[in-house]
Amino acid sequence: MKTSSRASNWTLVIRLTVMVVAAWYPRVGVAQGARGQTAAAGRVTFSETIAPILYANCVTCHRPGEAAPFSLISYDDVKKRGELVATVTRSRYMPPWHAAHGYGEFADERRLTDTQIDTIGTWVKQGMPQGNPARMPPLPQFAEGWHLGKPDLILEMPVAYNVPAGGPDIYRNFAIPTGLAEDKWVRAVEFRPSARKAVHHSLFAYVRGGAMKDFEGKDGKPGFVGLNGLGLGIGIQPNFQPSGGLGGWAVGTTPAFLSDGQAWPLAKGTDLVLQMHFHPTGKPESERSIVGLYFADQAPARRFSNIGVPSLFGLASGIDIKPGDKGFTIQDSMTLPVDVRIFSAMAHAHYLGKEMKATATLPDGSVQPLIWIQDWDFNWQDRYAYKQPLLLPKGTRIDVSIRYDNSLENPRNPNSPPRRTLWGEQSFDEMGGIQFEMVTVRPEDEAALVAGNLAGTRAAIVKGLQNGTVRRVLDHQRRAAGPPPRLQQITLLNREGKTVATVAEPGVYNQAALSPDGTRVAVIKTDLESRDADVWVFDVTTGKGTPITSDAAPNAAPVWSPDGRQIAYVSVLLDDNYSTLSRKAADGSGNEEVLYKSTAGAAPVLTDWSADGVLCFWSDKVTYAMRADGDRTPVALSDGTFNVRGGRFSSDGRFLAYSSDESGRFQVYARPFSLASNAAASSATKGSPVSTGAAIGGIFWRGDDKELFFLSSPEQAVTAADVKTSPAFEAGTPRQLFKPPNGTFAPAQLSNVATRDGQRFVVLVQLPPVPTPASTGAQR
Amino acid sequence: MWGLVTLSASGTPVKIRDVDGRWLTPFQPAARANAIFFISGDCPISNTYAPEIQRLCGQFASQGVGCSLIYEDLPPDVTAARKHLDEYGYRGRGISAAVDGARTIARAARASITPQAVIVDATGAIKYRGRIDNRYAALGKPRPQATTHDLIDALDATLSGTPVPAPETQAVGCAIVPADFFRK
Repeated sequence: MKTSSRASNWTLVIRLTVMVVAAWYPRVGVAQGARGQTAAAGRVTFSETIAPILYANCVTCHRPGEAAPFSLISYDDVKKRGELVATVTRSRYMPPWHAAHGYGEFADERRLTDTQIDTIGTWVKQGMPQGNPARMPPLPQFAEGWHLGKPDLILEMPVAYNVPAGGPDIYRNFAIPTGLAEDKWVRAVEFRPSARKAVHHSLFAYVRGGAMKDFEGKDGKPGFVGLNGLGLGIGIQPNFQPSGGLGGWAVGTTPAFLSDGQAWPLAKGTDLVLQMHFHPTGKPESERSIVGLYFADQAPARRFSNIGVPSLFGLASGIDIKPGDKGFTIQDSMTLPVDVRIFSAMAHAHYLGKEMKATATLPDGSVQPLIWIQDWDFNWQDRYAYKQPLLLPKGTRIDVSIRYDNSLENPRNPNSPPRRTLWGEQSFDEMGGIQFEMVTVRPEDEAALVAGNLAGTRAAIVKGLQNGTVRRVLDHQRRAAGPPPRLQQITLLNREGKTVATVAEPGVYNQAALSPDGTRVAVIKTDLESRDADVWVFDVTTGKGTPITSDAAPNAAPVWSPDGRQIAYVSVLLDDNYSTLSRKAADGSGNEEVLYKSTAGAAPVLTDWSADGVLCFWSDKVTYAMRADGDRTPVALSDGTFNVRGGRFSSDGRFLAYSSDESGRFQVYARPFSLASNAAASSATKGSPVSTGAAIGGIFWRGDDKELFFLSSPEQAVTAADVKTSPAFEAGTPRQLFKPPNGTFAPAQLSNVATRDGQRFVVLVQLPPVPTPASTGAQR
Repeated sequence: MWGLVTLSASGTPVKIRDVDGRWLTPFQPAARANAIFFISGDCPISNTYAPEIQRLCGQFASQGVGCSLIYEDLPPDVTAARKHLDEYGYRGRGISAAVDGARTIARAARASITPQAVIVDATGAIKYRGRIDNRYAALGKPRPQATTHDLIDALDATLSGTPVPAPETQAVGCAIVPADFFRK
């Protein structure tokens, strides 16, 4: 093992066109150390010992104009950063290589030997002596321009993308029409970014020409966000076909032709898609990549297959990682239907992926290591090519296991606090798989290998359809392709409908509810990136927001507890057939407490939480009351003959106001309420009408129960009626207070829409749409 | 006691010429406090923090906090520093900058990494030394976003006269090389 790994280093060195003398370094270095009488025994110098190591392993990237920082060519360059070089080589952060050494043998392994690392450490400790400059190795020759010669097709991003100076890393896609009039075979893709320090990696794929148009420019910038399965060969989106992967590039990759005369298919009329990862560098950068494609004259004699284990990056593996879980693992196997040669392994997961391992168990029971990544880093999505293709006979079982870390101990966790994470294509979702590129030993076996792979893919899709994952992913794609969301401004109005305050930044909000003391607003906020809908609380004065929920399930219908310390809300669970009513502290602390599980088809809607501790919600046609504590058996307040919804308790708890369509249209009624006497559901108890015409909800009792508000229909005007609750309920003639600005209020502001004194109303004012680049262009 | 290190060996306050030739005394705040940022011309982590340093200095300027950038690895000639200030958008924001060719400021503040921040209060005492935030868990391990903002917390405490919760944190970045290292 030792001998062969050393041999692999020799090959690497020679391939990098470094002079053969560099490859002799360990022997030369030791010999010089032994005979170096002018210095202490074992003294190492830059010229004789360190430069050969760096020139063979580091300067491909660490030289002027390349992606890596710090040129490591001259003595002064290296001396300045010597301590850092010693530290990062010791920790094996550099050179970057994420596959475990000795677990599969890879070509071009970027790795220093233990001896080389010790030597660098010793040199730094000894004060970094230069030695004799005359003994410096020659600098490796690097190709100028195209590495692989003139490409057959050169494509350039039509417009530059501006990478901002700061902020989080950016993942963004750019589609470039290929303009190809015929199908091609691609032997190599050479990628030349213009902002070398900002571009970390790029994956290449092709899709049906124009298929990405709907996604582009949504945020007013070139390109589009979202991974959308590009280059993953997912193919569950018929609209993208034909599509396929074309490899990738990461910092440090040397462009190369596929081995054995192989080639990727590239269909005519398609668009090339670059899926790029940018690191903001601290100053604005501008990226306009150039891509060179190298075609084969004819179809390759042999077709290779790219087979993922598990299929479709774990679409059907049941990925559902609980917050804090450090050991969630998926495992999958595939058995080779024919004899194959495996060329490469490429692992993939997102931020929570931690450890990935693949082995091959041969029919004779022997186990061959394939690849092991002990500390997965999303930023280094390398394709690991085997030094020698691995010959694996029919019946060999490939086992893959992938472990995830969804705790805060994983510094790459995108969520703090961690949140439930499901399978999905966005980088904050998870997936996982290892792709193996392979060719059958016998040409006549190709069809069997392809058929076996397709069967696995189909089985995964069927399972993904059954468990809801495919629906969720397609929903997400549909939303991503839809018009940009309209933003709203949380706004407080007075009784004349005049704006008295705006709260927090504009966002995608729903169902705002004022706290009983009027100082806070609970609202459903939809994250623009993840599209997750969570309960937030915003301070009316400062605008400061606190997330109350941060789970994958969409949340809805927040209601305040009478003391303003808790919020109850609905969670619409995604892949299960039930929804929950839960509560949590209004400052976001502590855990959520599930109060009730509903298996009704549609999620229930919470509308009130009375001073007596009774919750009101409706589900389908029926309105229910349920104690927040103690016996939580919901009591039906209507029998389902008509729709009854939007129930609100009077402040003294003796009456319930609600909307009902018993007259043929929704109107607001009020009736006496007592949980004890309500057991025999009481559509018999007829409500007294409050609204004279149609009304759609938005019911609110003033704190003294002397005034009742609701929204009239179709004007959607805030309307007030003077009411009496003693001795019996009595409503005066309703009068319109004001009509909120267009697009506000409707449809479901069902909780506390006003302050207890009835002086302030919370509405969500729709802002004008964000202009897209296309529409801006048309205006200019 | 930390205040003592801000005096040079001769007992006079440490001062340095900024890139425009004016004297800077980073350990003697003009108002309530100074934030000193030890930075580098080519350390990627140091450069990545440029927008955040500018944001922080803008945010705290109105509260009487001055900002000084101290370059630790550029040639004493200020040309490279001026170019860097322009490229990374530091100009015109009321942030002073100097090249610490002799490492006087780094020694006085006991700074060893770029980027590293030091807070000096109105009395000249060092109240904080360490990272700006925890965006980098280690070299090569950036978080998608920082989850603790150590420098902001320390500035808030300094301004309100309460103890800094963590007065010393580990900065992640590039080692500052002593000036005499390059003497030939």
